[in-house]
Formats: sequence, structure tokens, C-alpha cells
Amino acid sequence: MKSGSPLPVIFAAFFRSGLRAKRTRVFILLAAVPALLMIIVRLVDPKESGDFFTKVMLSLYFQLLVPVLALFFGSSIVNDELDSKTLVYLTTVPVRRRAVLLGKFLAAFLLAALLIAAGFLFCFLAAALHRLDEAAAWGELGLFLGAALLALFCYGTLFTAMGAFMKKSILAGIFFVFGWESVVQYFPGVTQKFTVIHWIKSLLPVPPGEGGFLIFQLQPSPPLPSVLVPLAAGALFLWLAVFIFERKEYILSDNA
Amino acid sequence: MSAVLKAEKLSKWYGNILGISDINLEIAGGITGLLGPNGAGKSTFLKIAAGQLKPKIGRLTVFGEPVWGNPGLFRRVGFCPEHDSAYNEMSGGAFILLLARLHGFAGAEATERTDRALATVGLLESRGRAIKAYSFGMRQRLRLASAILHEPELLLLDEPLRGVDPLWRIRIMQLIKDYGRRGRTVIVSSHILPEIEAMTSEIVLIHQGKIFAKGDIHSIRGLIDSHPHQVSIRCPQPRQLAGQLIAGDFVSGIEFAADGGGLTVRTGQRDRFFSALMPLAAQAGNEIAEITSPDDNLQAVFDYLIGK
Repeated sequence: MKSGSPLPVIFAAFFRSGLRAKRTRVFILLAAVPALLMIIVRLVDPKESGDFFTKVMLSLYFQLLVPVLALFFGSSIVNDELDSKTLVYLTTVPVRRRAVLLGKFLAAFLLAALLIAAGFLFCFLAAALHRLDEAAAWGELGLFLGAALLALFCYGTLFTAMGAFMKKSILAGIFFVFGWESVVQYFPGVTQKFTVIHWIKSLLPVPPGEGGFLIFQLQPSPPLPSVLVPLAAGALFLWLAVFIFERKEYILSDNA
Repeated sequence: MSAVLKAEKLSKWYGNILGISDINLEIAGGITGLLGPNGAGKSTFLKIAAGQLKPKIGRLTVFGEPVWGNPGLFRRVGFCPEHDSAYNEMSGGAFILLLARLHGFAGAEATERTDRALATVGLLESRGRAIKAYSFGMRQRLRLASAILHEPELLLLDEPLRGVDPLWRIRIMQLIKDYGRRGRTVIVSSHILPEIEAMTSEIVLIHQGKIFAKGDIHSIRGLIDSHPHQVSIRCPQPRQLAGQLIAGDFVSGIEFAADGGGLTVRTGQRDRFFSALMPLAAQAGNEIAEITSPDDNLQAVFDYLIGK
């Protein structure tokens, strides 16, 4: 009996192996840090934790954990195969390279999304324990979660394309996250729109007492473009990743 | 017989390092040994044949089709890479099952093919163990299982006997011979002449990225056997043995070891030399402890054949 599309086979195999990977365990611990922080704040000052939730989400999740998680999962999709020289097994089967890349991307994306969602939920429960019966509280969680998944998709596809293009893409990714994204988002005018974080922050509420949007003079974009631009950019990056992966020759070892 | 694999003016280099150069070659059914010293270009050639590398110049076709960017061809082609690579966190069974499914087999057939491939290489009992717990030889056999599970018409094996224990070395050679007898095509690389000789008489000699010779191993053996050999012998009375050997016209020179416990003989007629040596070895004072041939390796043979 012949099976159908190879994409679900690749997705299932790499999702399972991703669950067992050491990297995933490290990110489970990292994703738990904000929730622990939230619990501590709530124990110290039960009334404060509502605002603190927004600040933790913005500073820890959106500016650190989401891009770093996307960087490690996205760049590993091709780079892991090159480092362990296992790409040969996926490219000597009657499967198009695009199915390999997309299957692995979906597995990595779902894994990262589950980690983020679990972290958000624990953070939210710690912060909003006193108002769990309010629909607005759950709406806020949905907004943050949706924005996080959008960020994860856009960053993840970008780093997947970078991983398909260069072997040590993680260094370039670190420069992008902690250099470009951290600095340019605060530039005036349209310059800040060349960052992913600008569009994501434009979707999120402003924490009270900031006197503006977040800490610096960020000028938020309207909600609809803020959803569409990261989605379109993510789709473009994913197409680029497939384009590169289908055409690039990967040399796995010193050739004899 | 029509060619299964055809290379035309095939060249490949990495930066300024030459992989292979201007190779014209046709390989038909049966087993063909790709023989050459390390760095000769065997792996580069096989990787191009397996669609892992793009030719820089020229073309290579398998079953009349180009290989690069042609995944459908891998229903008919199996490749066992040389390097020790695997998904270490997976079990051996899960790894082969994944490949079986990617080859398009589903359900019970995928499981049955997985079990059959693992049983062929003696890993059925270890199918549940993580690959990282496998020995080097077991991982080598697992790679072979990954190449044969879909019973391809063309099997490309890059140094498949490397790191395999003697028992499995014999079994794998037998497996390859059986495969050839069933009308399939096998191209197997090695830098060890006796390994190739044990599997096939059809060989391709590759050296410094070029096809040096192609044909029946016996004609190439003839060239190799006319190569002036050096034979080192460890024995208690080397001067006595030298006196007996020098009487024959097959000895062109003798050197004594500095420690007085052996000698090195140069001969252009290896068979006659060994025929004469054997009866002498039994005589008193000639108790031979060791016979080695310092230049009995492929590199030396190639150096000789290309006239260095």
C-alpha cells in the first residue's frame, strides 16, 4: 500500500523527536521563568500583578523569548541536518525538498507555539487569578497569544530562510534580534517599520504609566496592517526558505 | 547491456580543491567496484550519482535521467553514505520506518519492509534501541538498511564495510553479491583492493579525480602484480635467508634491518619470490616471525601505475 503526502509523515516524526530534544527542555525552563516571576510578584503585592502581566509579556516574551525561541527552532530546521550530516537521508527519498522543509517547519512551529502558549497561560493564571470570571481578562490573553503566534511565525520563517541559506545562521540571527530589532524599533518615522517587533507591539496594549507607547517613542501602526504585514512577510520568508532549500547544494563533509 | 549510469565530461571541484575531473564513464548492470585511495574522488562521484552534489561541468544520468533535483528517481536508487550520521535520538526501527514511509509505503507494508531491512543487516533485535546507543559497526549496518529497504534497482554504497566487524563484513559482501545476482546494479566504493575483489571482477580505478582504468579486475591485477614489490621479513638469521634468496633471478635487491632481525627484499616477480620463500621458511635458522609488504597498499600501486 502506498501512503499519501510525505508532509504529515515528516511533521509527525520531527514533532516527536522535537519533544524529546534537549533544546526543548531548556526552552520549557526558560518559558517558565516569567510565570515564576509573576507568581512572586503576586505573592508580594497581590494588587499590582495585573499591570505587571503586560510589562512581563512585552519585555520578557515579545522582546526576548519569542524571537530567541523562533531563532533556535527556525535556524535548526536545516542547520541541524547539516551539523549531524543527516540531510542525506531526507534528500535520497522520493520526496520533494519543499515537503521536507515545510514538514519540519510545521513541527518546529507547533512545538514552539505550545511552549509559548503554556508559558502565557501560567503567567495569565498567576496574574489574573482574582478576575478569571471576566471575559476581558481572557480577551487580553487571547490578544497576547495571537500576537505571540504571529511574531513566532514571522521570526520563525525568517530564521528558517536564514538557516537554509547559511550554515552558521544563528550568529546572524542573534545580531538581528539583539542588534537590528532592539535598536531600529526606536528609530523615528518609517524606519521602525522595518522591524518585526514594531508590528507586533502595535497590536498590544500600552502599559499604564508609560506616557507613550512602551518605553520609547514608538509610533504604533493601525491594527489591520499590523496583522497583515507580519503575515505577508512570514509567507514571503517561507517561500524564500523553500526556494533556497530546493536549489542549494549542501556539502555535508570533506569530500574525497 | 545498456548503461544504468552514464557520466559525460563530469567535473566537480570545491573552491580550488578538485573533486573529480572530466570523467566519462558508463556503468551497466551487476556489481562494479569503485576503487581508489583516500581522496581519489570516489565519494564525490557517488554523491553526484546520489543527487547530493551538483556537477560543475558535464552531466551524470541514472536510468537516462539527470539526478540533481529529481527526487522521483530515488524510488529506483538507494544510497548508503560514507559518513557516520544518524538521528541519534531516534530508535533504529523508528528511523528505518520513517524512511519506509517517505518511500511511499504505508501501514503494514512499511512495518514489514522495515523489519525485513533490519533483519537483513542483523539489527531487528536492536530496533527499539536509540541509535546513539549503537556501536559504529551497527550504525554502518543501519545505513545499509536505509539504502536497501525499498529494494532499489541501483544501489550506491560508499565504503559500506568501513568499521564493520569481520563476521558482518563477510555477510555484507554476500548480501552485495546476492543483490548483483538478482539483476540489480551495485556500485560499491572502497580503498581496499581485496574487499572489492571479493565482491566483483568489474572495477573502476579512480585516482586524483580521474578514471584511471576500467575493466576486469584480472587485467588490472596483472598490472599491479608487475609492480616491483618490497617484502619485509623478520627472522633470526637474515643473512642466511638473503644468501638463499639472492640465488634466484627474481630478486633485484636486498636491504638488512638496522637491528639485525630482518631484511627487505625487492622483487619484480612476486609470485616466483613467494614460491621460493615458502620452502626456505621451513629451514632451520629461517623461522620467519613476520612478512609485511611496505608498499602493498593502493596508494603505492597507483603511484606505480601512473609512473611516479
